[in-house]
Amino acid sequence: MSSPENHNLKAYQQIATKLRLHVVNMVAPSGQGYVQQGLGAADIFTALYFAEANMDPANPTWADRDRIFLTTAHNTAIFYATLGERGFFDTNLLSTYVQDGSALEINSCERMGPFVEATCGSLGQGLSVALGCAMAAKRQGRTSRYYVILGDGEMQEGQIWEAAMLAGAKGLDNLCLIVDYNFVQSEGPMDLVMSLEPLNDKMQSFGFHVQDVDGNDIGALLDALAEAREVKGQPSFIKANTLMGKGVTSLEGLMFHQLRFPKEVADSARAELEAKLAS
Amino acid sequence: MSDTLSKLEAADFINRSFKPLPRSYGDALVEAALNDERVVCLTADLSPPTETDRFRDELPERFHNVGIAEANMIGIAGGMARSGEIPFVHSFCAFVTKRCFDQITMQAAYPNLPVKIVGFLPGVATLLGVSHQAIEDVAMMRSVPNMMVFESSGPQYHAAAVQLALQHDGPVYLRMKRPEKITDDPIVQLPLDYGKGKVQRNGTDLTIVAAGLEVVEALDAAEILTKEGIDAEVIDMHTIKPIDKELILQSASATGAMVTAENHNIIGGLGSAVAEVLTDAGIGLPFKRVGVQDQFCEGGTTPYLLKKFGLDSTAIASACRDVMKRKS
Repeated sequence: MSSPENHNLKAYQQIATKLRLHVVNMVAPSGQGYVQQGLGAADIFTALYFAEANMDPANPTWADRDRIFLTTAHNTAIFYATLGERGFFDTNLLSTYVQDGSALEINSCERMGPFVEATCGSLGQGLSVALGCAMAAKRQGRTSRYYVILGDGEMQEGQIWEAAMLAGAKGLDNLCLIVDYNFVQSEGPMDLVMSLEPLNDKMQSFGFHVQDVDGNDIGALLDALAEAREVKGQPSFIKANTLMGKGVTSLEGLMFHQLRFPKEVADSARAELEAKLAS
Repeated sequence: MSDTLSKLEAADFINRSFKPLPRSYGDALVEAALNDERVVCLTADLSPPTETDRFRDELPERFHNVGIAEANMIGIAGGMARSGEIPFVHSFCAFVTKRCFDQITMQAAYPNLPVKIVGFLPGVATLLGVSHQAIEDVAMMRSVPNMMVFESSGPQYHAAAVQLALQHDGPVYLRMKRPEKITDDPIVQLPLDYGKGKVQRNGTDLTIVAAGLEVVEALDAAEILTKEGIDAEVIDMHTIKPIDKELILQSASATGAMVTAENHNIIGGLGSAVAEVLTDAGIGLPFKRVGVQDQFCEGGTTPYLLKKFGLDSTAIASACRDVMKRKS
């Protein structure tokens, strides 16, 4: 796959903008879905799905694929936009998002297809599943890698730390956690509820190779993912600091966990992203 | 780009788009806390969806958001209850029961502590899909010794539900549902009796025993059946445990046919509880359980889901016709 020296950064940024436009268009009709998180995580999804991970959309059950577990399963607008643009299904399906009968539910569910590696809407469970896959891969001699996109609030679940402890103890270097650190949970800013800090120190003490990056800088993300690939005998942890609403001027940094996405706001966001894509 | 909004303009539009839903349960809990110093409130990062935001704002020293950590929350509640407090713990039904079932049995139920477990998003009724749907919670909670289980059929009974929870000096599971729409009229609170089901409609041909949102569906089904000459009695069995045996047996002997309706899997919930009462009393009669037919569901709007999974008034009416055929 890609190596950091030949990042086609401009192309990746263009993809991320396209994904953001999908997010806006998917959430706008119903107001259901997570706009701010989707916009904030667009660069992580672009880096992972379009550059880093080794996968074949035509053969999504390929046993040696790299697997990506989205454990913040509610961040689906960006997830489905990514899967669609990456070729796992027709992007026309995106317009059915959160409609009755559509498999594109607000929480991703494996009934959609094998590219949803596990059903993770109940927070804190996906890392353990990824751990199981990574351990099985080691025993079976597979070279595939296991990526987990975690939410920051989700790390308050105790199961995360049970899994992290074992990953560190086993030195699972085929496992890479990326925390989408946007600092907002349902009730508001994380430090108002329960801070995770000092998070990097905690993960280091659990045996992880730790990197702290700007999660909205695709180049930095690709460098971090490449470094993680080179680490031996340790699982990797990438703290990807993201900005909610990134890429839409009027929404950047607005700390809403959930918003109804009024038409005026959606129209403005769409106009800005369309202009960016055309330029 | 003259048509793009500033951050302030966007925030203003967003703030104005939030419309608060009625908070019957949350208001009743605040009232209960004002009347009883021992009442405290815990949440796992879901205050507004569990109507506890008013408690958070008005009684902050008695409110604890423990983070997204349900199992820990139950243990904490056990400790608080051992220290003389009456903790009401809140999350969605799926998370406040299934995720922490062992903790509930050992740290609330076995020591018979007054831990009040309050879940929202009962059964299939949510957009949020299989991970957030609780179709097993009644079966699980009902099987725990010392635990009582109440499910109110609408926001008009939410204050009563708080009182029922306090009436039992031990662990309780309240299965709650928020209204989905904003109503113009204030919700007038109605009383409920501990351990007593409520006859919502008198009838002579058969009995529908329902709980939660299925009570409204059952009443609608009774209206459909009236036009066909079938007169259905509808019992609101808000007290799933202790269940009102007397009322079930009395109604069964009066009508001679029974249908149960629950927003839950048909295994282990209200239908099973009613069947146990009948069987233990040696009563055999035409009987049918309406509920989720032992399958996982999906997210969607409530009317869509009730129809798709056979929980709406049409499905209940059809079950009633079936038992009526077997009755004759």
